Amino acid sequence: MKQVFTALALGAMFLGAPAFADAEVGKPAPTFTLKDESGKEHSLAQYKGKIVVLEWTNPECPFVQRHYSADTMANTLKGFDAKKVVWLAVDSTAHNTPEKSAAWKKTEGFSYPVLQDASGTVGKSFGAKTTPHMFVIDEQGVVRYAGAIDDDPRGKNEKKTNYVKTAVDALLAGKPVPTATSNSYGCSVKYKSS
Amino acid sequence: MTRQQSKRLGRAGVVGVVLMASVAWAQLPPSAVATGAPDEGDPRIEAALLVDATQVKPGDTFRVGVRFRMDPGWHVYWKNPGDSGLETEVTWDTPGSTVGPLQWPYPHTFRTSDGFIVTHGYDGEVLLFAQARAAENATGQLQLSAAANALVCEVHCIPAELMLTRNVPVGPETLRDADATHAFDAAQAKVPRPTADTGHTVQLALDSKQLTAGQEFTGTLTVTGPKGAALPALEGDFFTPERIAGVADVSLTSVGSGRFKLKGKMEPDAPGSEPRLAGVLRLGTAASGYQALSVDVPMAPVMPVGGAVAAAPVAVKPPSVKDSIAAVKPVAVAPVAAPAAESSVSLGLALLFAFFGGALLNLMPCVFPVLALKAYGFTRMVQNEHGRVGAHAAAYAGGIIGSMLLLAGTVLGVRAGGASVGWGFQFQEPLFVAAVSAVLVAFALNLFGVFNVGLDGTALAGKVDQSHGLMHSVGEGVLAVVLATPCSAPLLGTAVGFAFAAGPLTVLAVFFALGLGLALPFCVLVLVPGLAKKLPKPGAWMERFKQVLGFALLATTVWLVWVMGGLAGVDGMARLLAFLVAVGLGTWLYGQSQTQEGGRRFASVALAAVVLVGAGVASLRFDGLAPEARASSSVARTQPWDPAAVTAALEAGQPVFIDFTADWCLTCKFNERTVLSREEVRAAFTENQVAFFVADWTRRDARITAKLAEHGRAGVPMYLVLSPGAPDKPEVLSELLTTDLVVDAVKRAAECSPARRKNGSNVVCAVGFPRP
Repeated sequence: MKQVFTALALGAMFLGAPAFADAEVGKPAPTFTLKDESGKEHSLAQYKGKIVVLEWTNPECPFVQRHYSADTMANTLKGFDAKKVVWLAVDSTAHNTPEKSAAWKKTEGFSYPVLQDASGTVGKSFGAKTTPHMFVIDEQGVVRYAGAIDDDPRGKNEKKTNYVKTAVDALLAGKPVPTATSNSYGCSVKYKSS
Repeated sequence: MTRQQSKRLGRAGVVGVVLMASVAWAQLPPSAVATGAPDEGDPRIEAALLVDATQVKPGDTFRVGVRFRMDPGWHVYWKNPGDSGLETEVTWDTPGSTVGPLQWPYPHTFRTSDGFIVTHGYDGEVLLFAQARAAENATGQLQLSAAANALVCEVHCIPAELMLTRNVPVGPETLRDADATHAFDAAQAKVPRPTADTGHTVQLALDSKQLTAGQEFTGTLTVTGPKGAALPALEGDFFTPERIAGVADVSLTSVGSGRFKLKGKMEPDAPGSEPRLAGVLRLGTAASGYQALSVDVPMAPVMPVGGAVAAAPVAVKPPSVKDSIAAVKPVAVAPVAAPAAESSVSLGLALLFAFFGGALLNLMPCVFPVLALKAYGFTRMVQNEHGRVGAHAAAYAGGIIGSMLLLAGTVLGVRAGGASVGWGFQFQEPLFVAAVSAVLVAFALNLFGVFNVGLDGTALAGKVDQSHGLMHSVGEGVLAVVLATPCSAPLLGTAVGFAFAAGPLTVLAVFFALGLGLALPFCVLVLVPGLAKKLPKPGAWMERFKQVLGFALLATTVWLVWVMGGLAGVDGMARLLAFLVAVGLGTWLYGQSQTQEGGRRFASVALAAVVLVGAGVASLRFDGLAPEARASSSVARTQPWDPAAVTAALEAGQPVFIDFTADWCLTCKFNERTVLSREEVRAAFTENQVAFFVADWTRRDARITAKLAEHGRAGVPMYLVLSPGAPDKPEVLSELLTTDLVVDAVKRAAECSPARRKNGSNVVCAVGFPRP
């Protein structure tokens, strides 16, 4: 009988083998705990019940600079109910420091935390490839949107669709997210070379 | 001089050399050259507007392009930039002439040091160009302006916007610029050519008939050179996919000359379309030179996962046995309405189906003899070696599960090789049929006492028996699996169909569950105390029973010989029977050796081996043998399945019944004998003018395999009923037919024919077939 149980256990292992991959729309987001520029810890779990927007960022990237000078992120965030939506910037740039983030926050004048991920672990667990690269996570911790902030990579369209805004609005209204993935554009995330 | 300054000087020097190189050409006007992407003041990119003519005649064609030169280490992007970056963009403003689409030389692939971010583009120098044509009424000067928009990256990225203009005089004839023509020709040689133009053929065989949103897919791409020539060697990043809507992470791995393993993943929100695999295949090496092909082949329709993106994930709750039996029943009896319903079978349910399917297999005529054999062995053991029952049951279960996993591995292996396979596919292989027949005959002779396995008749037997006995149980488990495959029990079709469309782990899991189900009766026998004791007492009857079982095995062989007839005709059957006689002789010789000693014994064993191998080599050649012309089926007026004929029949207003069957499929034969050949069924077919098609899967047939997969099945039987009123919505009948089921389905299909509907029938036909 022991052999049978061993076989059963082996079979269960086959079934239970988890597949580690990028953050995938429709699947639970990778968990993380990161310190922000002021040293305060943020974990995804603590925001359960709220919609979380993750913004991969790097103040040195021209695409990020363009969006910040156009106030894209601030305007997007402004449209949301602050009690229901949390906005977290994540900087996975290898040479980033809390001081740089703090200085940048001051120049740009925004209040959301900039999570420090210089090791790149969290960025890679999400599969963040560009800055900006956006993820929207619903109240249950499931990824509902992954991709670009909008459909205007060159910043020239008069009329653009802000995918993050439409995704969060849909989730707040209890509707399916109209565009769940898009090709993110911008600079590559400057990960620590391993 | 500071270090920073010297660095800048160095860079300026590189730019200087680059600029000097272009001076050798016909003088470029200053307006046709621009620099951009300033990095601490130094430009990282230089662009020049090139034209391959110094004068153009009205109506003539010429080429116009933007040459980009990057500083060492910097690059710009291809039309699919990859994980990051931005497509390089050139927009034209050319009054007096028209410019065609931008031509892209094949790109390089760039990777971050950890390989996490992969992009496609150009470093050094690239000429992005287009064909242009001067207007018929052009006079004076052709004004050519280009706005080039590029993201220039090294480690960091700098956007560059470059405006370039120049004029080309219009004249009585077109004068070519030799240097520029040379540059355009060089760039042209790097532009991938459509395979239709180069004489290459490209074939894509996806491992599943359809793509599913959010799921990975695999397949095999086969590329042959002109006139079937082999492909040249490949190097490095030889394949660059274009951006394909809904598809991510496409990659090709070379698995042999001209054969590539395709892997990719569907986006979770992939639109329900039929994407094409598009990309650049670069043949050759740096030493031999490169040739780039533009690959563009259809993949397969995408099945969006309905609402899956929006709905919260439901925790998979293991269903209780009671639930599952209730859940299983309707599926076995009710017709499956649409293919989509089948594919939405969850993994849990598929495993459950597999488990019960496996258990049911025990009752099928293919497995029952082994089961009976095992039961006989058990009766003996319960008396003789009390403590070993559990071990034997475990060995038997292990044998079953092991060979199930081996079968799963084979399936995965064959699938990875690009062939499509289905449940029972082994029985499409004459050598496999011959091998199974030989094992059965040898087993039968063993039961008749011609030779002994494990007990070699000497005094040592008792001591060795325990391990041999266990191996014996393992062997019986293996045999049970081997024999079970042609008996596609109800439920099994769905479970295995699900497995074949899914990933490797799912395939293994489903086969594992099948094995568990097959082993179940004996596990129960051991787990329930006292049950084993209720088996009859051993005695002289056992010897007789054993011999009767031997005949049961021989009867199974008769069926296999008949299967061989379908595969390789009368000649094949004769060869198989000759081989089986040799098997008999060989085992008899071996049996003789068991009572002999020393040299004589060795000689007998050697002779037995020679007989077996010799007969095998001499007789087991089935290649090129034609299958027997099939005697008319037991079912009236059938015709071989042919999609064109099906369409013709539907257009003629006839309902269509398609029987997907195979000689080695006992369930199919059972249905044919007990249901399809019944008088009521025949009458219903005649009355409703049903066109009856038989899709015979006895031998390999890729079209049939594909059709099965289309309905989520990996094996036969499958029964499709098509109505001329709704030809796109076939009704899939249960694997186990009943007379009423067939008659009702045929009637519904006939009532939906447009001709009948005119007569006032109000049956709703468009959406599936509502059950009354």
